[in-house]
Amino acid sequence: MTAPVSSTLLELGTAGLVEDYFHQLGERKPGIFDAMMDRHGKLRPGWESLLGSLDTLGPEGRLQQHEEIQRLLAENGVIFNMHDDARRSWRLDPLPWVIDHAQWQALELGLIQRSRLLNALYDDIYGARSLFDKGLLPTQALIASAHLLLPCHGSQPGDRPAISFHGVDVIQDSEGQWRVIGDRLQAPSGTGFTLENRILMARALPEMYRNAPLKRLAGFLDNYHRTLTALAYQHRDNPNIVLLTPGPSSPRYFEHAYLANYLNIDLAEGQDLVVRDSQLWLRTLGGLQPVDVVLRHCDDAYCDPLELRGDSQLGVPGLLQAARTGGVAISNALGVGILESPELADYLPALCEHLLGEKLLLPNADAATIPATAPVFDNQMQRLTPTTLNLRCFINRSASSLTTPGQQLSDYHVMPGGLAWVGTPGSPSLSSPIVKDVWVTANAPQPHVSQLRQARGPVVATRDGTDLPSRVAESLFWLGRYGERLDARARLLREALMRLMEVDQDEIADQLLDELLIALNITTLNNDGEGAKLRIVGFVQKRAALLAQFDDTDSQALHALFDQLLRNARSVRDHLGDDSWRVINQLRQRVSAFNSSLGASAARRSCEGLSAQIAAFFGLCNETMPHHYGWRFMDIGRFLDRVLGLLSLLKLTLNAPHTPGLALWEVVLSTTDNFTAYRRRYRSELHPEAILDLLLFDETNPRSVGYMLQRLERQMNRLPGSSSPYRNAERRLLIQANAALHLADIDRLNHLTDTPEAQQALAQLLDQLIEPLMALSDAISQSHFSHVERPRQLVSMEPDA
Amino acid sequence: MNYTLRHTTRYLYNAPVTLCHSEARVLPRRTLYQECSASELTISPLPRVQAERRDVFGNRVLYCAMEDVHQSLDVTVTTELTTLPLAPLPASSPAWEDVAKQLHSDSRFDMQLYRLDSPFIRRNDELAAFARHCFTPGRPLIEGALALNQLIYDTFEYDPSFTTLATPLSDVLANRRGVCQDFAHLAIGALRSVGLAARYVSGYLETQPPPGQPRLVGADASHAWLATWIPDWGWLALDPTNGTIAGEQHPVLAWGRDYADVAPLKGVMNGGGEHQLEVEVDVMPITAE
Repeated sequence: MTAPVSSTLLELGTAGLVEDYFHQLGERKPGIFDAMMDRHGKLRPGWESLLGSLDTLGPEGRLQQHEEIQRLLAENGVIFNMHDDARRSWRLDPLPWVIDHAQWQALELGLIQRSRLLNALYDDIYGARSLFDKGLLPTQALIASAHLLLPCHGSQPGDRPAISFHGVDVIQDSEGQWRVIGDRLQAPSGTGFTLENRILMARALPEMYRNAPLKRLAGFLDNYHRTLTALAYQHRDNPNIVLLTPGPSSPRYFEHAYLANYLNIDLAEGQDLVVRDSQLWLRTLGGLQPVDVVLRHCDDAYCDPLELRGDSQLGVPGLLQAARTGGVAISNALGVGILESPELADYLPALCEHLLGEKLLLPNADAATIPATAPVFDNQMQRLTPTTLNLRCFINRSASSLTTPGQQLSDYHVMPGGLAWVGTPGSPSLSSPIVKDVWVTANAPQPHVSQLRQARGPVVATRDGTDLPSRVAESLFWLGRYGERLDARARLLREALMRLMEVDQDEIADQLLDELLIALNITTLNNDGEGAKLRIVGFVQKRAALLAQFDDTDSQALHALFDQLLRNARSVRDHLGDDSWRVINQLRQRVSAFNSSLGASAARRSCEGLSAQIAAFFGLCNETMPHHYGWRFMDIGRFLDRVLGLLSLLKLTLNAPHTPGLALWEVVLSTTDNFTAYRRRYRSELHPEAILDLLLFDETNPRSVGYMLQRLERQMNRLPGSSSPYRNAERRLLIQANAALHLADIDRLNHLTDTPEAQQALAQLLDQLIEPLMALSDAISQSHFSHVERPRQLVSMEPDA
Repeated sequence: MNYTLRHTTRYLYNAPVTLCHSEARVLPRRTLYQECSASELTISPLPRVQAERRDVFGNRVLYCAMEDVHQSLDVTVTTELTTLPLAPLPASSPAWEDVAKQLHSDSRFDMQLYRLDSPFIRRNDELAAFARHCFTPGRPLIEGALALNQLIYDTFEYDPSFTTLATPLSDVLANRRGVCQDFAHLAIGALRSVGLAARYVSGYLETQPPPGQPRLVGADASHAWLATWIPDWGWLALDPTNGTIAGEQHPVLAWGRDYADVAPLKGVMNGGGEHQLEVEVDVMPITAE
């Protein structure tokens, strides 16, 4: 049933948009199927109210809405897209692609049939192989394909389907017939973007969205979660499911983090997993935890270096054998990649008849296929123009189908919607300029499901007990360390730049600036020995050396430290709150704007901004991360780095006990942000003894060694395994440092500026603190992270290419 | 012939291995001309998990997981088997071009599997040209195959110092030297490059001690040869290293597209450092007394 262009719409002026569009259709190739209008210029069902709403907005209003959508997109990009080069640069069109009930039903039936067909095909290709001998398959092409994995032969247990999640790319042809471009089975991506588009539409155009009788997406992933649960062989009430990702370097990591978050399952890399006793395990702080189901987002060949590609660092040795013997269920089964082969297309009609006894409902697109048109707004939101759309659909095997034998239509769910993008048929989605939400109209109004949200529950689930993956704990620890190191460096640089600007006025050699250059490790104390850096003489040279710290080529400068921070932050993305991630992004923008041509003054301000943002980041983490083990490791990392930084700075003051050595003490106070505290307490001239008291012993001062050791102790007492009476290495080291501090004879440190004995006593004390604390980092790694080690091949079987 | 086969593969590591997943193809398979008794298998350290399956080629694959800390891995298999004489070769065979043409349109998986490229063997013009020395126009298939076997035997030098697992076939062809594995790969590559089917066979060969001296234990070696498809007859096994047909004297272990499919012991381990490999093979004929 099609609706005529109604008089009300004409009054609103929609006729303008629509007539203009129809006119363009006529100018192109008349008679070609269009998604919005039929041959007679009538709107197809479901479009009318939508166009009415968009037209009411007028070009100005549409532009505003569009800008709002783009802001939200950019925001999400900040939150989830951590890969610079994979950042999607598309815009989301305010006009969704409406697919009416009849068209959708044709597609849905075809998709379900295709999923059944490919499942049956998998079973034969990796089972009896009878279809080859019958001439129903392109034998040579399939054997020559790198996606046919011989070790997968006979590996799929008969009671688990090979395909439980299936992505299919389709287009409509010039007759309106749906045609398949290709299948996505190894790591079907796009669900994250589909949900994102729907959420953004609902936010930006709430009126339009609420009133639409369209089918909701929320139930689909819940169904998928149920299916994954039903795949488990053991712990069937509450199986442990992980999403296997290639890691943060994958351009699809966005989806992996998003999906793991949405489904409330662990995000795991190959190195987090191990096969023992024919069972898959996750390495966690509390030891090995069994994994029952793997939602796989690694390509087939990379999943098991024992039987598949031996050079893969992404997989788990023994995974295929574990799957074979029912030690773990994998969705989708290894080897499904062969079903994505384009060579199969011509064989599918006969295969469908042979395997299912049915006529193939969805033909494949071929070179002769002329795509249908669909409307999309121009950049100014003024006109609709005809374009070509691709659509990725998702099919999920239902949980109940796994327990009841026989295949029925209800055994499959098709997501009522999908990811639509503008581009020639088969063009990749990520490089598309425009995407669209897809609205499948329902016959009756659909209740608004409140489950539609960005994530299921808080970003960090309450499961971070001892089941926290060891790799995550390690990354959080180093995130803390690099964050603190970056902050300390920024503070020292700020002080040095301020000093530089002061000496600018008088050209006398400046002792303090030299000392700051040493503290920054830009020059070294002695000019002999390995790695010694020459003393820099002259104002211009010192200025250049300091500003070079803002250049990205210096390996110890700010860029390098930030890169380390970012690398660790990315790999624990699903454990950080969105707000903290926004700050990371601001930091990234700031650091990427650094360059050595900054003026000294601008550079100093940048340092201050950097410190403030790092403080904001850790502050947000403290506010939003549950204070479980992961957070404790981050905190330990921070305070360990901070205390080591302070101790080495104090040590440096000993090298300049003479005048103007006091200036350096002042710097110590400034960089630790203790100048105000000192003034308030001592209201006097600078006394090194008083400063030492504030920075070493005063346990109420968060910047003092005493406070930091206390904090480390408190956190370490709550780490896993700490309840045992056995004092492990890391706690012994901390006790050692604590003892040195508490047993220090404060009187011996008097008259520090003019008595060598006092200076010696301080040096000794600092060494007694530094030594165990340096060893502490290694001890923590040993006892909590060290069981992550890379497996190697016994014999390399990789022939020379 | 009746044989007792003993095959030991031993890895010595200079650092402890904490976990090792391994796949061994050391259990001989049954063939048309070979019957095997149950194998006696000793693995040290004792694997936590041990399972046998058949791979796509029909070979017996032993999966084992050593999960206790160990510094050496020792896999020893002892099998008694009986080899039977081959069926006589047909007096005549079709021209090799006709066979190649027929194979081209053969859709059987088990045939195409051995005609196309494989991990170590890529078809190319150079190999085709080498094959055409023997596969002259219209020559019967069996005659051509035997000639190729003889050509490699006559003109290539057995030289264990020259090649490694990674030596490309073009080097073997250019330098005319290699070991049994290279010669088998070379013949397979040549046959496939002219459109014929050929597979890699791993197994053993009984060696004769010098006259008057006793057999040395462990002195025999793993051996490799190839087989090519003769329509209406079967797979003809050729041993280019010795210039013979591989028959009763050649107990079979496994076959595949090339060495990668039948490597005796593969594994992925944690730890281990550097390692040293020791292999001992005994092929002991059992004389009926």
